[in-house]
Amino acid sequence: MKPLLEIHGLHARVAGNEILKGIDLAIGEGEIHAVMGPNGAGKSTLSAVLTGKPQYEVTEGSVRFKGQDLLAMSPEERSWAGIFLSFQYPVEIPGVSITNFLKTALACRRKAQGLPELAPAEFLALRKEKMALVQMKPEFVKRDVNVGFSGGEKKRNEIFQMAMLDPDLSILDETDSGLDVDALRIVAEGVNRLHTPQKSTIVITHYQRLLDYIVPDYVHILKDGRIVRTAGRELVAQIEEKGYESF
Amino acid sequence: MEKVMLIDGQRPDVTGGAGTLDIRLAAQERLSLVLLVLPAGEEEVTLPIRVMMDGEGADFQLNALCICGKKEKVSVKVHLEHLVPGASSRQLIRCVAGGESRVSFDGLIKVLPGAQRTEAFQTSNNILLSERAKVSTQPQLEIYADDVKCSHGATTGTLDEDEQYYMRSRGITLEQARLLQLRSFVWPVLAAVSDEQLRGRLDDRVRQALSRL
Repeated sequence: MKPLLEIHGLHARVAGNEILKGIDLAIGEGEIHAVMGPNGAGKSTLSAVLTGKPQYEVTEGSVRFKGQDLLAMSPEERSWAGIFLSFQYPVEIPGVSITNFLKTALACRRKAQGLPELAPAEFLALRKEKMALVQMKPEFVKRDVNVGFSGGEKKRNEIFQMAMLDPDLSILDETDSGLDVDALRIVAEGVNRLHTPQKSTIVITHYQRLLDYIVPDYVHILKDGRIVRTAGRELVAQIEEKGYESF
Repeated sequence: MEKVMLIDGQRPDVTGGAGTLDIRLAAQERLSLVLLVLPAGEEEVTLPIRVMMDGEGADFQLNALCICGKKEKVSVKVHLEHLVPGASSRQLIRCVAGGESRVSFDGLIKVLPGAQRTEAFQTSNNILLSERAKVSTQPQLEIYADDVKCSHGATTGTLDEDEQYYMRSRGITLEQARLLQLRSFVWPVLAAVSDEQLRGRLDDRVRQALSRL
């Protein structure tokens, strides 16, 4: 399997506290990895570090994405390279419509890649196709980014953005939190439809339930800043049965 | 009625030489005033506004926006009095200050004795884009009636880094992210313009002002 993401001995801290204490993880093309762990294990820190969140400081280790030094890139450069993070808590941006937001995002990326802006008709066609993929109603994209959205709508909007940006590596950070069963299913179906043999996904979650819909190839247990166990999907049932204590 | 006033390099004075903008609202009169202060660079803009709520059922809405990025000195003073019962006023003042600009907002709401059932609200929000820019806000409430709903609040801050990170994680450059944030900040003021065409034209002016920051 061609490695897409290679993490070696990653240590990171935020506000003076060391959270990641030596992470090794390799994600191959087409693979779905679940990262599970108790609260405070460092799950969200891992997603923050991979996407270059300010205030998070890498003190040791390396991360390569498609062979490039990921840690040397700005958050936007990482996005252009093909990384996407579905936020646990998506940010509200009043006065900026989803359409305008995504137009700006695509324009920035195309500019960085030396491409001209998409023609309005091309953008609309792309938007229509991706909206169908995540079963979104047309009026949705006219709304301001995440303003007044329910928990389910926010997560659906994340997956819609993911569809529009077409990343090679998607990181879903606690995408299941705050979702009822129906919303969870719609979001998971969207993620599954976007999956291809070339695309990889990291599902960060606390619970089993999202993994009933998005079935991982590998499951990692993250505890106190380290991956303490890696196995196949059978590990999920063991966690559900025994909790994280025994690992 | 709706009034839109634009103060820029060409139109530094909207009071017609009077120095003060005087407004008096009689019973059931409604006025929505949108004020855009977009100075061009180094000028001083002083705008005193006096509003007399002088009739039952009168309603006054002020939505003001000020964008400064160089060495402007802008001072907006709103003196609003509720003289009679049963009138309402709402003020939203938003300022973006960069460069070495100085922006001050003084807002006095006075509810006179007997002006019961008054509703008067005032909010002032400011964004500082540089360490050399200064914003001062002085909201004041003087209330001499007991059956009223009044509040005022002021915030001053910088652009939020978490929002920027969210946008950048979607491939939006920091520069564009800042523009979107500023646009988001100024939007409620623009939204008060009900004529879509006029709003579009003003929006263009605001965009230009923001992109110069």
